[in-house]
Amino acid sequence: MEKSVLCRLNAAAEKYSSKTAFKDPENSLTFGGFNDLTKSIGTYLAGITQPGSPVVVMSGRHVFTPACFLGAVRAGCFYAPMDGDMPVTRLNQILSVIKSDIMLVDKAHLETAQSLNFDGKLVVMEDIMSTPADEELLKSREEGIVCTSPLYVIFTSGSTGVPKGVITSHQSLMTYIDSVGKVLSIDDTDVLGNQSPLDYIAAIRDIYLPITFGAQTFIIPKNEFAVPTQLFDTLNNEKITALCWSVAGVELPAKLGAFDVSKPEYLKKLCFSGSVMPCKYLKIWQENLPDVLYVNQYGPTEATASCTYYIVNEKVDDDTVLPIGKPYDNYRVFLLNEDNTPTEQGKTGEICVTGPILALGYYGNAEYTEKSFIQNPLNNNFRELIYKTGDLGSFDSDGLLQFHGRKDRQIKHLGHRIELGEIEETAKKIEGVTDCCSLYNKPKEHLYLFYTGDATSKDIVLNFRKNMPAFMVPRKLVNLDKLPTLPNGKIDMQTLKTYFK
Amino acid sequence: MDKLMEILQELRPDVDFENETALITDGILDSFDIVALVGELNDEFDIEIKPNNLVPENFNSAKAMYALIEKLQDE
Repeated sequence: MEKSVLCRLNAAAEKYSSKTAFKDPENSLTFGGFNDLTKSIGTYLAGITQPGSPVVVMSGRHVFTPACFLGAVRAGCFYAPMDGDMPVTRLNQILSVIKSDIMLVDKAHLETAQSLNFDGKLVVMEDIMSTPADEELLKSREEGIVCTSPLYVIFTSGSTGVPKGVITSHQSLMTYIDSVGKVLSIDDTDVLGNQSPLDYIAAIRDIYLPITFGAQTFIIPKNEFAVPTQLFDTLNNEKITALCWSVAGVELPAKLGAFDVSKPEYLKKLCFSGSVMPCKYLKIWQENLPDVLYVNQYGPTEATASCTYYIVNEKVDDDTVLPIGKPYDNYRVFLLNEDNTPTEQGKTGEICVTGPILALGYYGNAEYTEKSFIQNPLNNNFRELIYKTGDLGSFDSDGLLQFHGRKDRQIKHLGHRIELGEIEETAKKIEGVTDCCSLYNKPKEHLYLFYTGDATSKDIVLNFRKNMPAFMVPRKLVNLDKLPTLPNGKIDMQTLKTYFK
Repeated sequence: MDKLMEILQELRPDVDFENETALITDGILDSFDIVALVGELNDEFDIEIKPNNLVPENFNSAKAMYALIEKLQDE
């Protein structure tokens, strides 16, 4: 395998110089143009950074954002992407963890960036895009990167109320991209349709499959997901062949009846991940597009996006439960019991993962890193780190992994991973909230907050909207005189669940 | 109209539905809001909002949504 993603970018720029790499409704970049841009951005950044330091990138849904990411990498740095549409409080939390000296923003996000708690240097992307490339400088920065160097830090919900930054290396990313590319047989004729926010883990496929295989990615405007017929028109106009979407994104057009009007004519492969696929929606896709390859993926950010996959060969029914399948190439997945003994065949245990895809840990949080990435308890002979996912699973008689939910209170809502504890920590900080408990009504996809105190539900929602990403705002609020408790004093969640409607 | 405003306020108390006229075009309501809203409107008003109805013009303001509901109820 190559040493870094830059080797791949160099090769793609040479082989596919005039082929389109990234496209959005307004702009498009060829591999050659994209590569030149990363060199300009990289040269500028190399002049003001030390190699191996973080560069925060806050930029919109357009083709220049991946160029900023790779520009930071060309400078020998790694990038920490932030979604500028997130509330300021959240962005400040991320900045307090990453403590970067440099923030790269597009003009549209400059004002937001200036309002943040950031003492470092703000660099506007548009101002540095034509910096003449300093090949010598870039070469020396590239030589400093080894395959275990960090590539990016992506933030995810943390139960203590502060987001955790998962650090991924070049090697981990390339291992995953190679494996998923093989399963989906991605090649230079493919056009991917990007749905995921670019700062989110799911977007790594849309960024690195092109760089690795010469494919193209079209960045679909966010608004189109609210207008399903327009979404399908875009997929057809752009001749999109492959989608790597969140389950929530795949459900949308099926839920809103988009197939009654048209269908994506060019689509050949659809892979989905992020939460359990309700098969009544997958069935609608299958009925309308029977020849498409459907792939169910499972895995945490800590194991580079996805660690297992299942190719859906059968025609699904409303109540089909898909396996999460088998490990991707170069991933090892096994089960452990609560007492760290191996789980017997057919029994349920905690899903554990190891291999070159393990994250480098949580940024700036050695304590949490050591708690989460542990020595394999089955191995006393040499150092072998594993990640315990907190997910439960079992292997069926065909050797396929089945998913059985969480050990703890982490949920998947609208394609995002949320710690219910973080919702509660946020709510408790609101004036007029004395005590609270957050629960998830999965069939209805409603995030509940039960609370005591005299805050109105409007106060609470407004506060969440101001401080948290939209997907973390409770949809249903229930004000109680007292939270029901069990004899041991803990909150009685089963009784609270009777409020679900 | 009152019932509609109640549903909208419960869905997104942070939005000024009385005055906003570009709810979709400006991205104030996102796709997940629309999914939740369509489900509630279908149930509450006993209508069936079709994909062809899901265009910005029908959802950019509370007034436009109400007009759509009335039109679908007449059908």
